[in-house]
Amino acid sequence: MAMKDNSALTPGLAFDQPLLEKIESVPGLDVLVGSLERLMNWASTNSFFVFPMATSCCGIELMTVATGRFDVDRMGAVIRATPRHCDVMVVAGTITVKMAPRVKKLWDQMPEPKWCIAMGSCAISGDFYRDIYSVVPGIDTFLPVDVYIPGCPPNPDALYGGLMRLQDKIRARQAGTFEPREARPETAKMILPAVKRLEDGDRDPLLSQAQLAAAMGIGLNGRELHSHEQVVAVGNLAIGRNVLAAAYPQSDVEPVQEPAPQAKAEAVGGAEAAAEAP
Amino acid sequence: MSPDLSAALTGLLGTDSVVNCGMIVPNNLHLPLATLLRDRGYTCYVTVCASHWPAQPALKGAPATEEHFEVATVLRDPTRRDAAHPDGSQTFSWRVSLAPGEAIASLTSLFAGADWQEREQYDLVGVHFAGHPDLRRLMMDEDWPGHPLRRDYAIDTPHAPWR
Repeated sequence: MAMKDNSALTPGLAFDQPLLEKIESVPGLDVLVGSLERLMNWASTNSFFVFPMATSCCGIELMTVATGRFDVDRMGAVIRATPRHCDVMVVAGTITVKMAPRVKKLWDQMPEPKWCIAMGSCAISGDFYRDIYSVVPGIDTFLPVDVYIPGCPPNPDALYGGLMRLQDKIRARQAGTFEPREARPETAKMILPAVKRLEDGDRDPLLSQAQLAAAMGIGLNGRELHSHEQVVAVGNLAIGRNVLAAAYPQSDVEPVQEPAPQAKAEAVGGAEAAAEAP
Repeated sequence: MSPDLSAALTGLLGTDSVVNCGMIVPNNLHLPLATLLRDRGYTCYVTVCASHWPAQPALKGAPATEEHFEVATVLRDPTRRDAAHPDGSQTFSWRVSLAPGEAIASLTSLFAGADWQEREQYDLVGVHFAGHPDLRRLMMDEDWPGHPLRRDYAIDTPHAPWR
């Protein structure tokens, strides 16, 4: 299986406008570009085509947004059931390890420009399922998330607010006034999931490769999945409680204590010496 | 319980004293018992539930137990109870105790609905069903290591590359 380009995993690239780039490359059209940008800005922010990646209870709130009481059509947003029509993926619900490659594959099928919204605490961090074997601790470990909507589940109002925040973000991006979120060092004391986020500087590049390979390895009927050996080959990633405890010494994670080999040898030697002594 | 069912159960098991989920049936009588009940009206396959029991030391007077698995099967008579169906609307459940690695007979030859239920139990607990036509994992990935609902499965078992 050929490894695909890794650029889809890099945050920030999801904001490219390929149509605009093509227009800008045509000589003589520079005059129009300013107004065309405003046109694209207006069009893309007021006609979100939402792909509902709804896996659990947040999906119910997502459905409510489309009903008459909240009526997301008022802001031009349409909920479509195919990723090829959509430009906003709303991940609403817990994403499991089995589901994550499917989500990644659907995300890759969406045309640029595209944005991702993490709706609810499960999509943001895994919430209280975070340490469970089968749950991905936050979708920003493999998707470039633009807007986080906290809540368990968030109200339809909150999702509405999140979509408007996304509009603001796109406008600010294109106006050049977007500021990335501030880094807060005090949050390093919190117990973070063992998997590095996409925007973490020390994220292992092997991790992105392995995630992409897993997403691309889904075959018909699940039979051509990535082999376990392939996954184990990159299994020495920064995953596990010992690595976590070493990375965040102030956290409450206790490393697993194993007896040092020297102490073991001394104990064995001492027993032998004691046996030889009499 | 109707007299003929009582007589049939006594003929098969040696007793007809049925307590829900309280009766442990020998493994070789699992399929005959299910066939007998299916032929007498218990045609609704409600559920199968497997559980893992790790080895326990003797504690508070209870004897020590070896590691074993238990599979509980629940059947139901879906008809209304009347004179013609004295067992109508009743459920019947029993357990089978298995040693580690021992297989239990699959009920897919009697109930088509047992297919995915037994696949789920195989996936999560690791009980093998002999005679199942397509015993694959149902919930976890095909290449998932281990069976998550066993008592000795660590809850934070890492699974690269997603965890």
